Amino acid sequence: MSAAFSPTRSLARAAVRSVPPAVFEMRAPCTISSASRQKARIHSTPANTAQPSASARSAAAALPSHDSTSSDHAAADSAPPTGPLTQSQRDFLDSALRVNQAGELAAVLIYSAQTPPLLRSHPHLRPLMKHMHDQEAGHFTYFNSLLAKHRIRPTAMYPVWHAAATLLGWGTAVMGREAAMACTEAVETEIGTHYNEQVRVLLDWAEKMEKHGETLGEELTVLIGELRKIRDEELEHLDHAVENDSKEARPYELLTNVIRGGCRTAIWISEKV
Amino acid sequence: MPPVRLSNQLLGTLRATSLRPAAAWRQRCNYHSHEHTQPPPFLPAESAILSAAIAHVPHYGFTVDALKLGARDAGYLDVSTNILPRGVFDLVNYHLVTQRLALKDTVQFPSGGEQGKRLGLGGKVRTLALARLRANEPVIHRLQEALAIMAQPSYVSPSLAELARLADEIWYLAGDKSVDSSWYTKRAALSAIYSATEVFMTQDTSKDFADTEQFLDARLEDNMKVGGFLGALSEWADYTAHSAVNVLRSKGLRV
Repeated sequence: MSAAFSPTRSLARAAVRSVPPAVFEMRAPCTISSASRQKARIHSTPANTAQPSASARSAAAALPSHDSTSSDHAAADSAPPTGPLTQSQRDFLDSALRVNQAGELAAVLIYSAQTPPLLRSHPHLRPLMKHMHDQEAGHFTYFNSLLAKHRIRPTAMYPVWHAAATLLGWGTAVMGREAAMACTEAVETEIGTHYNEQVRVLLDWAEKMEKHGETLGEELTVLIGELRKIRDEELEHLDHAVENDSKEARPYELLTNVIRGGCRTAIWISEKV
Repeated sequence: MPPVRLSNQLLGTLRATSLRPAAAWRQRCNYHSHEHTQPPPFLPAESAILSAAIAHVPHYGFTVDALKLGARDAGYLDVSTNILPRGVFDLVNYHLVTQRLALKDTVQFPSGGEQGKRLGLGGKVRTLALARLRANEPVIHRLQEALAIMAQPSYVSPSLAELARLADEIWYLAGDKSVDSSWYTKRAALSAIYSATEVFMTQDTSKDFADTEQFLDARLEDNMKVGGFLGALSEWADYTAHSAVNVLRSKGLRV
């Protein structure tokens, strides 16, 4: 499992560093014919946000909704069968979703803890902080529902991350507005890279399955779409943080490197424990 | 014994224990997909022999005799039991796994729109635990033997893993959706309660295991009391800490 996982991670990281951060994927509108529309929907981000749910629905409509055995659908010959998941794929999904839930828990707590000290001195940031917190809370709810649905174990470090994230949020907010924004910038950079890698791995699976004439299945197709949306929202938070003078924080390098290192360690631990 | 031969023997043993049968690892399915099929927990040959052997357990116990008779019934040679490297533990494990997986089919909870009280989460857990205990009834007089096999040092770890999976299955079928640290405490508590009740059941001679049901109810009630106390304590601590911080803030301290 790790052999499949680590080359992709390092490759993805190398690819991300060489590409400017604003462009992670092609965002061209889909102009190809309907025959390959289903394939195109997985492999490109549609231009407007209304489309992902429509595309997921059309992908879902094309696939058999509740059958998992290909022998059962006699009539749906036009829809390719859902490929089986290998043990390493299950392990990947297990640890990836566990880490995502832990990450969103940390994000919600960081924003909750940053808000009171920050708003005392900068009350004009209230709408921004509320917006970011609400988006993170939505992500957290989504991953909680996924973990419950797929019977994935949450991380055993849950109380530790709870305390650490609260402390990090409060600490950086007490240091000042720029430090709080630098913390957000550091965390969102790591999270953005992390989600991007996951989307890449899932797209890789989809491609391999399509070569065998199978599809990834509705669950995973929807997951790819949701991960993309979440990643885009995290990068939006990154942009907001930079706009709000995160780069003016002193000591900038130390703070961001420590926080980014901490995030990577936390991700690594949550994958295993 | 010459050192080279000894070290070769040791290496051989280590290699054999590390190349576990595929079946043991197949049960480590963490991500439960509702769309993709789950692989079966046992290989076809193993499944054939073990399912036939289980039928002999009430008479012969969890022994190699039951395994050999099972192999014969399934149409294999007696020596085919060698495909089960853990011997009688594989038979015990088969019983545990099949009874765990049977829970979702044997226990159905009536859905909403019915008169009468609907079972809460605790009630459903109780029903599922009782159902699983009652599934032990055909082999109850052999269960102490099974527990002794499970307690052997090399089988303690897989037995505990199977107990954890049972607790997870019961909570999942009862409809538990929590995914924070209570996920762990709930399963640990249920594992402890279930295993204590099972041991009690092996020496229970009352009619229709009424004493076992009482024992289970008493343990579940203890668990509720402790859980309630700890919950109240943590709520109090949380409230006190938040209040202290808010009072300091209202006094102007930049906290």
